[in-house]
Amino acid sequence: MEFLAFASFAILVVGWLVAPSKTVTPVSHAEERKAA
Amino acid sequence: MDKINAGDTAWLLASAALVMLMTPALGFFYGGLVRRKNVLATIMHSFFILCLISVQWVLWGYTLAFGPDIGGIIGGLDWAALRGVGQDPGPYAPTVPHEAYMVFQMMFAVITPALITGAFAERKRFKAFVVFTLLWATFVYDPVAHWVWGGGWLGQLGALDFAGGTVVHITSGVSALVAALVLGRRVGFGREAMDPHDATMTVLGASLLWFGWFGFNAGSAITAGGLAANAFVVTNTAAAMAALTWMTVSWLHKGAPSVLGAAAGAVAGLVAITPASGYVDVSASILIGLGAGIFCYTAIQITKRFKVDDALDVFGVHGVGGAWGALATGVFATVAVNSAAKDGLLAGNPGQLGIQAIAVLASIAYSAVMTFVILKLIDLFVGLRVPESEEVLGLDASQHREAAYQI
Repeated sequence: MEFLAFASFAILVVGWLVAPSKTVTPVSHAEERKAA
Repeated sequence: MDKINAGDTAWLLASAALVMLMTPALGFFYGGLVRRKNVLATIMHSFFILCLISVQWVLWGYTLAFGPDIGGIIGGLDWAALRGVGQDPGPYAPTVPHEAYMVFQMMFAVITPALITGAFAERKRFKAFVVFTLLWATFVYDPVAHWVWGGGWLGQLGALDFAGGTVVHITSGVSALVAALVLGRRVGFGREAMDPHDATMTVLGASLLWFGWFGFNAGSAITAGGLAANAFVVTNTAAAMAALTWMTVSWLHKGAPSVLGAAAGAVAGLVAITPASGYVDVSASILIGLGAGIFCYTAIQITKRFKVDDALDVFGVHGVGGAWGALATGVFATVAVNSAAKDGLLAGNPGQLGIQAIAVLASIAYSAVMTFVILKLIDLFVGLRVPESEEVLGLDASQHREAAYQI
């Protein structure tokens, strides 16, 4: 059971490594005003 | 006469206070998830239930749930209005005053109907909610609590439920699903955004729920000793593991690590470890937390696909999390943790899993049927939903004539 506990946590760590890291580029207020 | 233990009594009273805090915490958890026009009404559901069931429990709730057994089904009325429930120990806890045990159990009876309110948020008439809560507590919670904890038939069968997987979470989760189906969807559901109005409030509520849950589970040991310490540790571990799992699954599924997902995951883990917390070790709690994160998240995606408007995902978190926890108890339980209990499947007692399955199915069937009947009766005599115009206006204004924010 201890092995399964370690393994399940390891799976989560792998999940964090492969999860998407793309971020949404923030729009500045200046750009918002320009667009308006 | 049994001797009262000061440590046990102090821990049980402190635990009762911790569990009491969970109900207003639930109000904040749910309040943050609804739209701004319904936040007061949502918080009021939890706060009102704290008051209503506190009185119902001392008058007749406690005796129905824990009074002398009648045929394994219900408690007798011997302890109505707490007649005979005093400062000496009662039959359930030999080292604490009977009143202390009663008030600890009261807080469980309080939070259980409050959990359901997340399913009918933003559309239920306040009067209907009041009547529903009183009837549901009397005809669903009290009998099922008796079946499992009050000497009733599920307890006699050997079902293990340390702190309320069946009694609290399956009954409330299944009733929430029934309520969502009977009430129908909110106006605009699926067509307009119904985003949480204050995610910070929800995370605060989840954190306070986590805090109170130590009283819920570790307090259920009824003694201030090793069993309480084990329940405390596995509760914290399962909550953390489920939060990490839910966040990870949602990150892989939707592309971002959701803050609200982590909060919901923690609650799912707390739900799932509840029935098991007095019977399993810490490795099992990690696996129970993992399962809670995966199963509850998946259940919510499925209910959304079927366009069921369980507004705040009560069924996915409490119904599915409670069922998973109850069954996992039958898998992972070990007398190495609690010598007064029984082994589960992995410790060589597969029959326990069958008993747990019977407890799960009985709780689902009874709460579903009774909730349906209660809701239909209320719809007939009071009306369940507010008119559409009032729903659009918001329940804070239409039901309470107040506004949450003046900014």
